[in-house]
Amino acid sequence: MSGKKKNDGVDSNSRRIFTQRTSLMAGLVALGGGSFLMQPEGAWAADPIKVGIATDLTGPISWAGIVNANVAKMVIAEINKGGGLLGRPLQMVLEDTASNEQLAVTKVRKLVSQDKVDVVLGGVTSSMRNAIKDTIVNRGKTLYIYPQLYEGKECTPNLFCTGPTPAQQCDTFIPWLIKNGGKKFYLPSADYVWPHTLNDYAKKVIKANGGEVVGEEYFPVDHSEYSATVNKIMTSGVNVVFNTTIPPGVGSLFKQLHEAGFGKKGGRLACVYYDENALGITPANEIEGLATCLDYFSAINDPMGAKIFNNYKTLYGDKSRFCAGGAGTGMWRGLMLWAEAVKEAKSVKRDAVAAALDHAKLTDGPGGGCEMVPGTRHLKMNMYIAVSKGGQYNVVESSKMVLPGECA
Amino acid sequence: MQKVHRVTISALTGIEIVLFVLALVLPLLLENFWVLFITKIFILALLAISFDLVWGYAGIMSFGQALFFGVSGYVVALLSQKTGVHSIFVLLPIAAIVGLLLGFMMAALVILGKRIPSLAFVALGTMTGSYVIERLARGWSYVGGQNGISSLARLTAGEFEIEEGIVFCYMALSLLVIIYLLSRWLVRSQFGLVLAGIRQHENRVSFLGYNVQTFKAVIFSLSGMIAGISGALFAFHEGFIGPGQLGPVLSTQAVLYVLFGGVGTLVGAIIGVTVLDLMNFLLPQVEFLGPTLTNFLETGWPILLGLLLLCTVMFRPAGLMGFFMRDRSRNLLFGNKDKMNQSSENGLESRP
Repeated sequence: MSGKKKNDGVDSNSRRIFTQRTSLMAGLVALGGGSFLMQPEGAWAADPIKVGIATDLTGPISWAGIVNANVAKMVIAEINKGGGLLGRPLQMVLEDTASNEQLAVTKVRKLVSQDKVDVVLGGVTSSMRNAIKDTIVNRGKTLYIYPQLYEGKECTPNLFCTGPTPAQQCDTFIPWLIKNGGKKFYLPSADYVWPHTLNDYAKKVIKANGGEVVGEEYFPVDHSEYSATVNKIMTSGVNVVFNTTIPPGVGSLFKQLHEAGFGKKGGRLACVYYDENALGITPANEIEGLATCLDYFSAINDPMGAKIFNNYKTLYGDKSRFCAGGAGTGMWRGLMLWAEAVKEAKSVKRDAVAAALDHAKLTDGPGGGCEMVPGTRHLKMNMYIAVSKGGQYNVVESSKMVLPGECA
Repeated sequence: MQKVHRVTISALTGIEIVLFVLALVLPLLLENFWVLFITKIFILALLAISFDLVWGYAGIMSFGQALFFGVSGYVVALLSQKTGVHSIFVLLPIAAIVGLLLGFMMAALVILGKRIPSLAFVALGTMTGSYVIERLARGWSYVGGQNGISSLARLTAGEFEIEEGIVFCYMALSLLVIIYLLSRWLVRSQFGLVLAGIRQHENRVSFLGYNVQTFKAVIFSLSGMIAGISGALFAFHEGFIGPGQLGPVLSTQAVLYVLFGGVGTLVGAIIGVTVLDLMNFLLPQVEFLGPTLTNFLETGWPILLGLLLLCTVMFRPAGLMGFFMRDRSRNLLFGNKDKMNQSSENGLESRP
């Protein structure tokens, strides 16, 4: 009696499971979960390791997002050419976050819970990182690597940052500006989180080095009328304009400063996000002498950097180049460091990889090697000060292994 | 003639029933990601319904629905972060009240007044409100500035934590069903008839002795309340809320959802959200169309989506619902069906 009952139970149970699974399959097919179902499993000896790339291929941030995705494609193809990782090939799952945080959460959720990627890299703006980090790291229990230079203070566990921080962009740069410009600083800025936080740090460094902040102003991001500001700069004897306004407004600020003769009178323009692609935004004569401090310039001409630079150029043309901004170098380092960590951990499990990533190290890369500062999830790396001359950057000073100064 | 009308009316009810059954069953069959996806559709459907109520029924062009959505979201997100209150029974009513009050304040600014405001005034007024709030939030570091508020804790019901997934999905669905049914009842009541009258010809209704401004302010505040509930659910489901959820972009999205799905049908709003969000998600990853088109879609999908929307507005002003029901039949859904069917022969027109 009882045995029969048991059997019945098993029967109806497995029937239920069968119905559930069949309808699940039907539902999946109906909803077009194409990439989920059509895995090219037969082509490889082992299951691929999945690398999720979430970046802005469309929308206002696409200028950076496209470089970001191209670098990822290039590096992943290279790792696969060298036999993949742990004997498994890498499979890149690319999602367009469309410069739209609301859409991005859904896209990242797909990466984490449907594609079940082993790591997510990407996000260009801080607002994007902020919107997607919880979905990846806390709710999704997946490793996240953020590749862009940013304002610092991101100390979420299992979130690693591979771009320069305010300390790296200011600590050597501001003393250089005081020496090669003067003591009086003016800080025209766009009104959002990055300029506010960066300026707070920069002001400390300026004061510590005997400089003086004459003025600090915040404008809406698309502001374009700067004559009052330019007037103030020209009449108060400012030596250094430390700019954090961003495109599209930045073009008119530089133009108006140039027309007022700021550069001719010996003033120094400084802008820490202005990479080699940004040089094209403004006419070369308007930004003659502009100084910046970044982790890579093609003018450094280091063998590794040159190799990556040319490789990128052959693959994607000359329209936008491999450079520090647009999270290009950050993406390269992020992927390579993660690959090193996977090799060391002999696994793609999050905790093991995070533990290895905490002290991961690259002996070479664009602009030289880099190394995680244990316990901080930020990198120490070489920083370079460059000055624009005739539309090109000349590197004038380099500093080895500058500390990130975050989360310590 | 009468038979034809009965068919069109039951077509609407039929769609409602089919959608409801799908919404009830699908979360059980799908894997986790799609459950989350559907939950987001349920939540945004509330936002779309809030817009359909004001535009589809009362003829108020509100380009500021995201204002109510976002501010309510921000308020509950801040409350939960600063005070540690995560209970849904506290936060959701607060969101509803915030939305209601904001809706009323906005109505007081752009709708109430001695003269009847023009369509453009209301549209621009609401859009400006939404834009101003977005700008304020971007610059205000207490609410996270550009970065918004993230890493929100989960909503709780007593001891129980409402994790996103099946439970959150059915909670959102039940709220959607309740609000949908209430809205449906409202627009089919005498109140709704007056609203439809206002939409068709505001002056005539006011000549009949109705205070049209009051009616409009009431429906506008209610719509603010619904958008507020939607915003609170959104913030906790996505785990973040930012200035992008306050501004004209999301406000316009609400408009597009409804125009695409079908104005003045309520269910069209839900269809619009579903189809547009699915396209938003699936278009960039259509892989079977060959490498050239896939490469184009990787960065060009917004163009394709825009063209689709343009075509719909040009050739199907009644939206997707226009395939299932005639534009006129929206006017036949009030009061006594037989009487209405007779009056249809006199040829009622519909504006929006």
